[in-house]
Amino acid sequence: MSGRVIVITSGKGGVGKTTTSANIGTALAKAGNKVVLIDTDIGLRNLDLLLGLENRIVYTIVDVVEGRCKLKQALVKDKKNPNLSLLAAAQTRDKSAVSEEQLKDICEKLKKDNDFILVDCPAGIEQGFQNAVAGASEAIVVTTPEMSAIRDADRIIGLLAAREEIESYKLLLNRVRPNLIATNDMMSVEDVVELLACDLIGIIPEDTGIISSTNKGDPIVNDEKSLAGQAYRNVARRIMGEEVEFLNLEEDKNFIGKIKDFFEKTIKEIKAKI
Amino acid sequence: MDNGSVENGFIVDLSNAKNTSQLIYELSSILDLPEARNKKICLKLGDTDLNQSQLLSIKALIDSMQGEIGLIDTASAQTKAAAENLSILVSELKNEVEVEPEHQATQEEIDTVLGIVTTVDENNEEKQENIPLTPIADFSEVAEAGGLILNGDSKYVMMDTTGILPDEQKNHEENPESLPTLYLNRTLRSGQTISYEGNIFIVGDAHPGSELIAKGDITVWGILGGIAHAGAHGNVNAKVRALKLNAIQLRIAGLYARRNDTYNVPYVQKSNEFTPEVAVLENNSIVIYKKLRRDE
Repeated sequence: MSGRVIVITSGKGGVGKTTTSANIGTALAKAGNKVVLIDTDIGLRNLDLLLGLENRIVYTIVDVVEGRCKLKQALVKDKKNPNLSLLAAAQTRDKSAVSEEQLKDICEKLKKDNDFILVDCPAGIEQGFQNAVAGASEAIVVTTPEMSAIRDADRIIGLLAAREEIESYKLLLNRVRPNLIATNDMMSVEDVVELLACDLIGIIPEDTGIISSTNKGDPIVNDEKSLAGQAYRNVARRIMGEEVEFLNLEEDKNFIGKIKDFFEKTIKEIKAKI
Repeated sequence: MDNGSVENGFIVDLSNAKNTSQLIYELSSILDLPEARNKKICLKLGDTDLNQSQLLSIKALIDSMQGEIGLIDTASAQTKAAAENLSILVSELKNEVEVEPEHQATQEEIDTVLGIVTTVDENNEEKQENIPLTPIADFSEVAEAGGLILNGDSKYVMMDTTGILPDEQKNHEENPESLPTLYLNRTLRSGQTISYEGNIFIVGDAHPGSELIAKGDITVWGILGGIAHAGAHGNVNAKVRALKLNAIQLRIAGLYARRNDTYNVPYVQKSNEFTPEVAVLENNSIVIYKKLRRDE
């Protein structure tokens, strides 16, 4: 088996890299793939919290590279899905505790028995980013429809494009609010894609459910009713090579919008009859 | 004074309360505990003077918290008279707990199970001495990790670390008192580690994401939220103590317990009332005692 190593990065902080990692990882594992999530945000780890695995961590990636344990011992199995495991970052150290070669080595080893290795990258373009990207051959760039996030994503795409090892990079547009796009208060998906000139792999709508799911340590893909969960499941299917249409977020109209639609449709029908 | 006994009793010691409002405040916080539900509440009122209406409001409070007033123990003549007017049993409180012979319970555990029978047996002086030092309530609880379960869900569960931890470490018994102690007066924040070849004593909180590793005991005079490893070199006598034990993981010698997924820690500890907790190793599992009594 030779797994795919995908780095999830953004440049800017707070756009949803870790949430995306946790959700895509969970969705891929739910679809039957063997998945390892690597948290490379040493010193500011969060991925364990989002997965609700903090209480199970005994060894971290730093213990692995410093030889205090074997790689296998440091992998924390997910509560719900045995296909998913986490290699946690150390909280008590910093980015310099791990080198690019060491991360590359870990990814190579994990490739042997896993379908997917998702690397959650820290914010920034320094050592942490360089480490996270080192072992990857694919990248997902997470951004939100805001100028600052797009500027940083552009910078990241430039850095990724300059690396030979990165065979493909895709854009994931997070926290999209269709009602704001409709009133021209938010950049549309098309605008972002045009600005960044990069293929899309997913559009995730803003979802308040993310807040409680993050606090509870239960990724939102586990919630069948959530639209954001659905969007993340679709991203996972696209990663697996399926053709999946993007969710039509416009459908998510408010009550008045629906009534308006209904009247317009009826009037059209009446006119057609006359 | 009447002779009599109350079964399924729950003693609440309020003899240290300075005034009526403090007394009621303490009582209500104790009645909030699940252990106090559906019990006959036995109040130790010391020499606090209560009139009939005050006593009536206490009775109403207990009723509203799904309890029932069993009896009161008072040194005040006024309180006694008021209680008798309200036909509340007045007696001297004595603890008599029946212990199942095969279960060698410690005194703390005995109080946990709290099948309290009160009698006016004057020969029972010995037990009287064991009354907690600074009590609000004479209760103590075994939360457990793999051991005794009281309230359904336990706060901690033991981790199976076979294949994860190296088994080279030899356990040994050592008295932590013989070790040096590191005394710190600060807040330990996420990412900070304190590792010491002795005991660690912290006045302040240890936030989630912090790590405390000690050769001996760990005592946190505050909320312990991070990882605590006492007896890190294998001392099975080491203990972890905190005013509030919320540690994400508790480790003593080579045994690890993790906080139960079902145990919800509030974002912010709103109450200023703490019941100190201590984690010890017993029969290959980490057991947590909530206690008001000092270690012998």
